[in-house]
Amino acid sequence: MIENVSQPVSTATESLNAARNIIPNQEYLLQGSVMDSAVEVLLHRLRGLCDNVDSGPEPFYDHEMCFSIRGAGSMQPLLLRVRRALDYQDMPWQLRYIGQPEIGDKSRPTIVRNSIDIGTSATVVEFLTELGCRMDFEYIVRGYMFRKGRMKITVSKIFKSGQGKPLDNMEALSQSYLVELSVLAPSGQDAIAEDMRSFAEQLRPLVQLEKVDCKRLQHVP
Amino acid sequence: MAYSVSISVEAPIENQIQEITYDGQELYQSPLSMSENLARLAQKIDFNKVIPEEVEKENSDSLEKSDDESSSKDSAAFQSSLWPWDSVRNKLRNALTEVCVLSDVLAIAKEKRYMVLDPVPQEGVETKPMVQVYARKKALAGAATVLLTGAERLRTSQTEISRNRTTPDFHIELLRLRQNWRLKKVSNSIIGDLSYRTAGSKYAQTGMFEVTKAEEENPTTGSPPPSPGPGGAPKPSSALRVMVPSELQGVAYIEVLCQKDQEDLCSASINVLGSGPTATNPDIHWQQKLEAAQNVLFCKELFNQLAKEAVQLQAPIPHMVVGNQIMATVLPGIQLIISLCHSTGTDKKPPSQNPPQKSEHDHVLEHSLHQLLREVHHKNTHHPFPHPSSGPIGPSKKRCLAGPMAADRYELMEMMKSQTLLEQIIQQAQHFFMRLRTEYVLDTIAKEVKDPLIVSHWNALNSPTQSCVKINIMTHGYDSVCRTSLIVHVGEKSLKCVCRDGRVMHMSYEPQELRDLIFCQIYQHQITAVQALAKCMGWQFLANSSHLGLGAVEPLGNASSCILASPIGDRLIAVRCEPHMGVQVAIAQSPRKDFFPGQLVKERKWENLGGSFKEVRWDKMEGKNFLNKMELLMASLTSS
Repeated sequence: MIENVSQPVSTATESLNAARNIIPNQEYLLQGSVMDSAVEVLLHRLRGLCDNVDSGPEPFYDHEMCFSIRGAGSMQPLLLRVRRALDYQDMPWQLRYIGQPEIGDKSRPTIVRNSIDIGTSATVVEFLTELGCRMDFEYIVRGYMFRKGRMKITVSKIFKSGQGKPLDNMEALSQSYLVELSVLAPSGQDAIAEDMRSFAEQLRPLVQLEKVDCKRLQHVP
Repeated sequence: MAYSVSISVEAPIENQIQEITYDGQELYQSPLSMSENLARLAQKIDFNKVIPEEVEKENSDSLEKSDDESSSKDSAAFQSSLWPWDSVRNKLRNALTEVCVLSDVLAIAKEKRYMVLDPVPQEGVETKPMVQVYARKKALAGAATVLLTGAERLRTSQTEISRNRTTPDFHIELLRLRQNWRLKKVSNSIIGDLSYRTAGSKYAQTGMFEVTKAEEENPTTGSPPPSPGPGGAPKPSSALRVMVPSELQGVAYIEVLCQKDQEDLCSASINVLGSGPTATNPDIHWQQKLEAAQNVLFCKELFNQLAKEAVQLQAPIPHMVVGNQIMATVLPGIQLIISLCHSTGTDKKPPSQNPPQKSEHDHVLEHSLHQLLREVHHKNTHHPFPHPSSGPIGPSKKRCLAGPMAADRYELMEMMKSQTLLEQIIQQAQHFFMRLRTEYVLDTIAKEVKDPLIVSHWNALNSPTQSCVKINIMTHGYDSVCRTSLIVHVGEKSLKCVCRDGRVMHMSYEPQELRDLIFCQIYQHQITAVQALAKCMGWQFLANSSHLGLGAVEPLGNASSCILASPIGDRLIAVRCEPHMGVQVAIAQSPRKDFFPGQLVKERKWENLGGSFKEVRWDKMEGKNFLNKMELLMASLTSS
């Protein structure tokens, strides 16, 4: 497709406003977990259900750090996540902001939350530290990614990162795998949530993907 | 004063009050259920009461007594009140008596003092063995006949099926079909999909086909087999029939022709569109039918895509789309014609009009087109995965890096550009022609020029748009003395030549340019070779010039020359080479032979200055080739 270069030049704000409808800033999410003994069956099933059966699941190996910064006063701290791919060192790092899940009606099939992610260079940690963010925690996640249409399914295991080199002395946080089904879409496309729900139904007896309310899981100190 | 007082009148409570709770609520005793009522009545039975027979006996015994009547009356009265339960009571009482007697007898017999249990001697049953055998035989025969009739029935049905039906079972066929094609059941019918949708195609036309059971045909076992003729023996038809949409029936392929310019473009039409009935040949097996239909769909999509691009693209010479043909100009004078040939198989007539100069259908380019479309499909489905995994699916690695690396608008626009199918195939066709021309030029030169040999090695590995050829110019017999090599990279519309000394020359698609270049290189080779030979022969090299400014202006390239001196210095050879005139050799010798002292130059010693150059008649010279002749010349002029 050849671009027609002779377009009328529009101002930056005009093009930004026009682009707002297509920037994916909402994340629709369903989560579940399987025990270690059952993960092979789940992977086999996902391999059959998802796209590109011939190429197989894509492994990934990421390191995530969570930063928080407190504004003036006793507001809620702003949480930012920095994630990098340990197996693809030349890919850019990712800075991500995840908002609170929308407290909509209970009939919504999935969690909907704001999600903005930006590609950055490796100096983002220094940048955030200079801004005043403190690192709350970090972890290493390793697993497989699948894709079905716009939906992305990850089956991953979370490890506690040892001090120094993250490669050695990794201990798993639990004896289970975290399964996540997510779609990044512009706001207003709620129909995708139904597709996600029907796909989750197909995985039903192996893993139960549902809306997980994080607030209930968090311990309030 | 009369006050009206409310009086409530209630019926008495039927059920007894069981308890009154603290809040005043009364809990009634629930009325007895049927089983509870029965239990209540049963409890009233007194099993110790005497039965009527005993009562009569007692009555007969004590007839004298005066209170007989009263007791009989009493028993009669009692009897009448227990009437519903009397028989039950009597039976139970009898049972009790019997059981008591039995237990007494057993206790006494166990003691073995007064009673002993003795077995009664059994008389042997008189059985006649023959009767038994006969009975058994009859029974077995009966069972055997039942089993045999059943087996016989099964066998006959099996042989009948296998004899009559040469076709396999419908369900087995359906299973085979399902292993190869996507099927689904919609209400009563089975619908299949043969499009490339799941492989990444975005073509709008559906590829739905329907599967039905084949009609029962009369078995042809009775009639004699037909004689082998044009019809052939009847093939066994399969149990299921497949119906493809009418626009996908038949066979199609994309025909790619590269031909020289024609004045009359309309005459080069090679349509073989059948206009006959669309009834398909029923003898084709469903697999071939479906594969052919899928191919038709693929060719249609490919042609559709190419036609869209041909209309949208703006080329220096515009592309033309006429009917089912696309004409694009590859190089000046050469056209690429892509046409969709779709035949429904019923049109048996050969095409009536064959264009006079029909070049062969290029299978390689057709295959390339198929591959290009498949690549487009592949890109549609295989999007790169995000790393780290929480990123969005879709952007390529370049696009992901564009942010952190601060790509500007121009770079982003460049990233968006991609080549269309038509452009790619035109490039491949252009390269094909460039390669063909280069081959032709090199082969012609190699045939024409025998003196230095031109050897060309084409690289075995190349791409559809680039090839390489290495050209070695050497003289026969002297290939270790001197060899000139150059590499020519053949692109789509240009050539690039890299010489050994580092010169890079770019040429256009005209074959004459390459020819001229090669000729120039040949004559430069000669001079270089002479110099190398001189080293071997011991001759000294005095001077050379690659671009000689002396003599007539050359039409092609520049003349080159060199001057050599013999080992003892008494002979000189001057060589001049140029592509147009060939080779000119002249020799001179040091003490002049024709020295005559004159008015100005009187002394003898001036004869050592050396004479003038005299040209050698090179065509009369002995020797197989130029270098050989030079060698012989040098050998003859060398005097020790």
